Amino acid sequence: MNDIQNDIHKKIALLKKELSNAVIGQEDMIDSLLIGLLCDGHILVEGVPGLAKTTTINALSRAINLDAKRIQFTPDLLPSDIIGAQVYNPKDHSFSIKKGPIFTHLLLADEINRAPAKVQSALLEVMQERQVTIGDETFKIAAPFLVMATQNPIEQEGVYRLPEAQLDRFMMKIIVKHNTEDEELDIMRKAAKKSFTEVKAVLSLDNLQGLQKALENVHIDEEIERYMVQLISATREPHRFGLENLTDIIRFGASPRASIDLYKASRAQAYLKGKDFVSPSDISVVIHSVLRHRIVLSYEARAKNLTSDEIISQIVETLPIP
Amino acid sequence: MKHNLGNLWVALCLLYLPAIILQAEDFTYHLRVDKKNPYVKEAVLLTLDVNQTNPNVVLLFNFDLVKNENYSYQRVDIKEKSNAKALQIRYTYLIYPLKPKNVNIRFTLKKKVTSEDSVAYSFSGDRDNVKGLVTKDYAIAVPPLTLHVKSLPQGTELVGDFTLDATLKRHQAKAYEALPFHVTIEGKGYLPLLPNILPPDINFTLFKEKPIVKTLSSTQGTQSTVKYSMALSHVKDFTLPAVSIRAFDPPSEKAYMLRIPSKEFKITEVNKTTLIDKVDTPPLLTQDWSWFETLFSYPFVFFCGYLTAKVSPWQKKVKQQKAIDPLEEKIKNAKTEKELLQILMANESKVFGSCIHMLEDSLYANGKINLREVKEKALHLL
Repeated sequence: MNDIQNDIHKKIALLKKELSNAVIGQEDMIDSLLIGLLCDGHILVEGVPGLAKTTTINALSRAINLDAKRIQFTPDLLPSDIIGAQVYNPKDHSFSIKKGPIFTHLLLADEINRAPAKVQSALLEVMQERQVTIGDETFKIAAPFLVMATQNPIEQEGVYRLPEAQLDRFMMKIIVKHNTEDEELDIMRKAAKKSFTEVKAVLSLDNLQGLQKALENVHIDEEIERYMVQLISATREPHRFGLENLTDIIRFGASPRASIDLYKASRAQAYLKGKDFVSPSDISVVIHSVLRHRIVLSYEARAKNLTSDEIISQIVETLPIP
Repeated sequence: MKHNLGNLWVALCLLYLPAIILQAEDFTYHLRVDKKNPYVKEAVLLTLDVNQTNPNVVLLFNFDLVKNENYSYQRVDIKEKSNAKALQIRYTYLIYPLKPKNVNIRFTLKKKVTSEDSVAYSFSGDRDNVKGLVTKDYAIAVPPLTLHVKSLPQGTELVGDFTLDATLKRHQAKAYEALPFHVTIEGKGYLPLLPNILPPDINFTLFKEKPIVKTLSSTQGTQSTVKYSMALSHVKDFTLPAVSIRAFDPPSEKAYMLRIPSKEFKITEVNKTTLIDKVDTPPLLTQDWSWFETLFSYPFVFFCGYLTAKVSPWQKKVKQQKAIDPLEEKIKNAKTEKELLQILMANESKVFGSCIHMLEDSLYANGKINLREVKEKALHLL
C-alpha cells in the first residue's frame, strides 16, 4: 500500500467513523451510499420504516459538506413539485424560475413507489440526464448528485410499482435489515440520553472529487473484466454456462447498464477496502446489490418462491473464477 | 187383503220383466231380454225398441246401461229407421251377470226434442263455423230390469263352449334354453281370461307374456280366442304338471274339463361361459365390488390422512436430524483453493471475509495458506 492509498484509506475510515456517530450499524447501507457517491450512481433502498435512512443521508451530507433534501412521495405529487416550475410575478408581469428540491447533492426520495408513474419518470429522467428543463431553460444538476430512493416492502395498497426500465437506472438496490440486538441497545441508550454527537464535516467537495478521480487508478485485470461479463451473460443465457435449470426461472436477464454498474461498483468496493486492484471477492460483495433489481423472474420462479439473490448466488457458485 | 194385493203386484212384475212396454210422451219403448234366469257369466241379449209417436217434433235419443260391478255389458248393435218423422231405433246389448241371485240392471234414456228449422240451421254450418243443434233434453225414467242369476257349479273357471289347444314343439333343450309353450282357448262364451294357466308350485322358470285376446260379439254371443304365450326354462330335467280347467256351458247345462297333459322335458347341461351372447357383446359376468369400494374408501382416506398427520412430524424430525447443511458439505468437499473461494463468495461473502482474503492472497498475491485450515475456519464461521 503506497502513501496515496494510505491517505485514501484514512480518509474513508475517517468518514465512516464520523458517520457512525449518527448512524449505528447499517454498514451495508453506508458502504453502498459511498459506492454510489464515488461512482455517480443512485441507490434504491428497500426496508421497513425507521431504519435510519434519512439520518444516514443527512449525516453523509454533513460529513462531506454537501446539500441534502428529502421528498416524501405521495399519490398527489406532481413533477413540478420535484423539478420546479415557472412562477408568474404580477409586479413586473414576468415569469421567474422556482427550482425544485431536485437541485441538491444528496436527495432522499422517500417511498418512491407511492407517487404515480409520471412523477417517477420525472425523477428518473433527472437521475439519468443530470439536467432539468423548466420552461425554455435547461439547468445542469451540480455534481455530485446521488438519489437514494426508498421502497417499503410491506405496503401493497395504493402503491405504483416501479417499471423494470426505471429500476435499471438505479446502480444498486440494497435491502436494509434491522440492527442487531447490541446495535439496537446502543441506539436506544443514545436516543434516550440524546447523546448522538453531531456529525462534523471531515471531507470537502474537493476531497470527494479527488477520491472519485483516484478511483480510476484501481486496476481491473482483463480476466476479471471477462468474468464480470460472463456473470451478466449468465443471467441472460444461463444454459450456455451449464445453468439449464435457470432457463425457465429467469424471464429477462440483466441489461448492459448492469455490466457498467458492476464494473464501477466492484472497483469502488476494492477502493473502499484500500486495494488498488479488483479481485473476485469484490465482485461477489456487490453483485447481489447490482443485479437483484435487474433480473426479472418468471411465474415459475415465483411459484417456487425463488428470489433473485438465490439465482445470483447460484450463478456465482457455478461460473469458474479467474 | 193388503198383503195379497202386494204379492199380486210382485207376481205381475216378474211376469212382465222379460218384456217391458212403456208409453212415454212422443214415443213408446219396448225393452226385453232373451232369458230371465241366466247363469253367472252367461250372455243375456237385451233389446230396446224406441218408436216415435208424435210426428210434429224431431226426436233424438241417447240410451246406455249404468255401469255396475254386478254385471258387464257390451253394445252389439244400433239400428235406426228414420222415415217421415216416425223414428224407430233398436239398441242391442249383451249383458253378462257377474254375481248370483238378483242383479238389477239400470238404464239411462234421454229424449232430445228439437225442430226441423234447428236441424236445418245446424246443417248450415261448416268445419270453420260449427253450428250446434239446439235441443231440449228430457231424462226418461226407465224402470230397472232384474235378472235372477243362477250360480255356477263349484270350481268353474270358464263359462261357455270352449276348446283348448296346447302347443309344445320340443321336449329337449340345453340348460337355460327357453322352450316355447303356447296355450290357446277358443270358443263362445264369457271371455276365457285366466290369471294363471299353470299351477303356482312349479319347479322351473316360467316366462310369461300378456295373453293375446281376440273377441267378436254378436247377437249370438261372444266368440273369443285367447292365446297364452309362455316359455319354460331350467338347468336340469323337469316336468310340466298336468293342467285341468273346469268349464261350464250354460245352454246345454253341461260341465266339462279342458286338460293339458303332463309333459317331461330333457335338459342337457352346458358350460356357462358358452352362454355369453357374443353377438351383442354384453359386459362380462364379473363380481360387482363397487359397494365394497364405496364402503371402505372414505374410512381408508380418513385413516391415510390421520396416519400422514401422525407420521409427518416424526419424519420431519428424522430428516432434520439426518440433514447436513449443504454449504457445510460443499466446503468440506472443496478440493482446490479456487473452488473454495467460489463457494464462499457465493454464500455470505462478508461472513467469510477473512477466509476469502486468505484465499485471494494465496491465489493472486503469492501468499501461502493451508487449505484444510481455511476450510476449518470457514466451517467455524458457519
